[in-house]
Amino acid sequence: MGKVKKMFRYDNAGVLFVLPAFIYMLVFVGYPIIRNIILSFQDVSAGNLVRGVKNFIFFDNYLELFQDSVFRTSLFNTLRYTVLCLVFQFVIGFALALFFNRRFSFAKPVRGILLVPWMIPVTVTALMFKLLFATDIGVINYILRSFHLINKNIEWLTTPQTAMFALICANVWIGIPFNMILISTGLTTIPKELYESASIDGANKTQTFFSITLPLLKPTIESVLILGFIYTFKVYDLVYVMTSGGPVNSTHMLSTYSYKLSFEMFKYSKGSAVANVLLVILLVVGVFYIKATTKGEEA
Amino acid sequence: MKSKKVISLLAALAITAGLMAGCGSSGQTENTANTEGAADQEAQEESPAAEEPASEEATTDEAAAGGAEAVTIWYYWETEGHQVALDQVIQDYNASQGNYQVTAKYVPFADFKKQLSIGASADELPDIAILDSPDHASYVEMGIFEDLTGKFDVGSYYEGAVNSCTVDGKLYGVPFGVNCLALYYNEDMLKEAGREAPTTWDELMDTAKALTTDSVTGLALCSVQNEEGTFNFVPWLWSTGADSYSIGSENGIRALTFIQNLVNEGVMSKECINWTQGDVMNQFIAGNVAMMENGPWQIPTMQKEAPDLNWKVTLIPKDSQYSSVLGGENYAVINGGKVEGALDFLTYATSEEKVKFLMDKFGYISADKAIAESQFEADSPYQPFVEELNYAMPRGPLAEWPSVSDAISLAFNQVITGTATPEDAAAEAQATIDGIVK
Repeated sequence: MGKVKKMFRYDNAGVLFVLPAFIYMLVFVGYPIIRNIILSFQDVSAGNLVRGVKNFIFFDNYLELFQDSVFRTSLFNTLRYTVLCLVFQFVIGFALALFFNRRFSFAKPVRGILLVPWMIPVTVTALMFKLLFATDIGVINYILRSFHLINKNIEWLTTPQTAMFALICANVWIGIPFNMILISTGLTTIPKELYESASIDGANKTQTFFSITLPLLKPTIESVLILGFIYTFKVYDLVYVMTSGGPVNSTHMLSTYSYKLSFEMFKYSKGSAVANVLLVILLVVGVFYIKATTKGEEA
Repeated sequence: MKSKKVISLLAALAITAGLMAGCGSSGQTENTANTEGAADQEAQEESPAAEEPASEEATTDEAAAGGAEAVTIWYYWETEGHQVALDQVIQDYNASQGNYQVTAKYVPFADFKKQLSIGASADELPDIAILDSPDHASYVEMGIFEDLTGKFDVGSYYEGAVNSCTVDGKLYGVPFGVNCLALYYNEDMLKEAGREAPTTWDELMDTAKALTTDSVTGLALCSVQNEEGTFNFVPWLWSTGADSYSIGSENGIRALTFIQNLVNEGVMSKECINWTQGDVMNQFIAGNVAMMENGPWQIPTMQKEAPDLNWKVTLIPKDSQYSSVLGGENYAVINGGKVEGALDFLTYATSEEKVKFLMDKFGYISADKAIAESQFEADSPYQPFVEELNYAMPRGPLAEWPSVSDAISLAFNQVITGTATPEDAAAEAQATIDGIVK
């Protein structure tokens, strides 16, 4: 009797409540990650996936990867893509949030409509942008031509530099509503009294923005940027549909290259090594996120 | 306060939409994964009578749990006509005997290799897979296919097709049907330009130039950077006398240079690198392209979509020899599954009557040379493909073919986009291939 009672003491009961979530994480998150790390230390290809010896070669896959120019390109691409997307969608999203925070008629319905890009499935958006950026039949070239900005159609998706630009445009379009809505919500939490007293003290718009709005939005901004980073960094479907990593491997991301190695070329171990590089980078960002959010709660 | 509520509602909506978008890719697979569903739809469109067997299958499925052993097939044909034809053969088979109950599952082509790989490591494979022939050797090496040596008579089959499922002298599959690539041309456009169908590369270049206008490009071929692109590139490579493993040779460089010249002269659009074979066909029937390299499986769609278009098929123009590439699917039996049932179904499906039925509905050419040669009328648009088959060679068979293929399609993509000279692209591809094939 005493033992059972002891088990249900306040502290232990807490452990019991955590247990289901813990087991779930262990089975559905922990196991695949560990399995993937083991796979990346082996030499698994078509020949020994099912039968045969899986030799441990430890870091050889990773060493090979860093000599692989496609891997280096995809690592650089993923970083470049993430940073550029974040900058543009954050700045534009912020500006729109400020704009719709003012009270004018139709502010709310228009803000609602602006959410549409974020609700459309990514594959649909990708196909849409693929058509927009098409060389001969694309709307963008058509518009540029009718304003006489170009004489010759730009080969957006078949030239390495412009293909990346097209991908970033598509993703910024998707990401703006996400940034806007979170920052809008953040703005509503700032007490109006602060702005009122600031105006009584004679502060101008710029001063109120930098002394009230920005500092009070800091926790929101941190969350938006870190969530945005994670969401953007693991991009797969957009790239797969729009360019499949082409032209000439110039728009491969870590995710698409990992898929290609594993499931098109049967180099399972190398593919999982790429996935682990992705995981490590996101893990670091995730730690920052947890730090940022818990700090916010304490304050 | 009210605005906050609206925002949170919108945010909640957006999040759910995001979640659904996340499931989109896998959900889609499931939706289309049901052959019976697709077959039903098609049946309703074409003839109401054909609907019956499909619904019958649904009921016999339950009965299968009682007596008959369930045998599953995976395939990747997205064309509804193909799905209906395969389903018909399966229905007939199920009705003809009581021991086995066969069902087929559609897996999209882009996911097919992944599903087989995952299935192999998770031990969740079908009993029969109908797969793309160049991948056959890789899965044989993986050890998931049953040795079929001596169980099927493939003596009268095309040698290339049999080779694609033969490893170390053992037969690991049965060719389903074969196809190859040839040159389609728009008859009206050629007539207008006063040209005959080209037979050599020089003639092809001349003709393509003559056919190119502001709105029409002379030639198109699928140039995506994957196996589909490689399939379309190798006829040009092989025509010079180079083989798949000697792209770095003078001949290989000549093939790359020719393709690059087509693009530089403006007679082939750079956008071909984003066009699948289906896209190329669509450009052709839309009149945006005067000639294209493509396969016979496009014919039923072309006849349906553009009945008024005048087109003909001829051999792919040659450099030093006529050349084409062998495509098609093979049946493979998974070992460790219901091998007996799988063999029984395959014996049924590879009988002459069933092969003829399937080939006819698919727009495929029989892998059995004896059947193929009498399969079409002399003036049938399929007939040139039967002739082209005599020059068609298989890719591989090699377990590492996907890596070789990647090197070849990369080299062609480099010259098409102008990111490398033919010499550099050839040298780089050769170095990759030498690292794979020792």
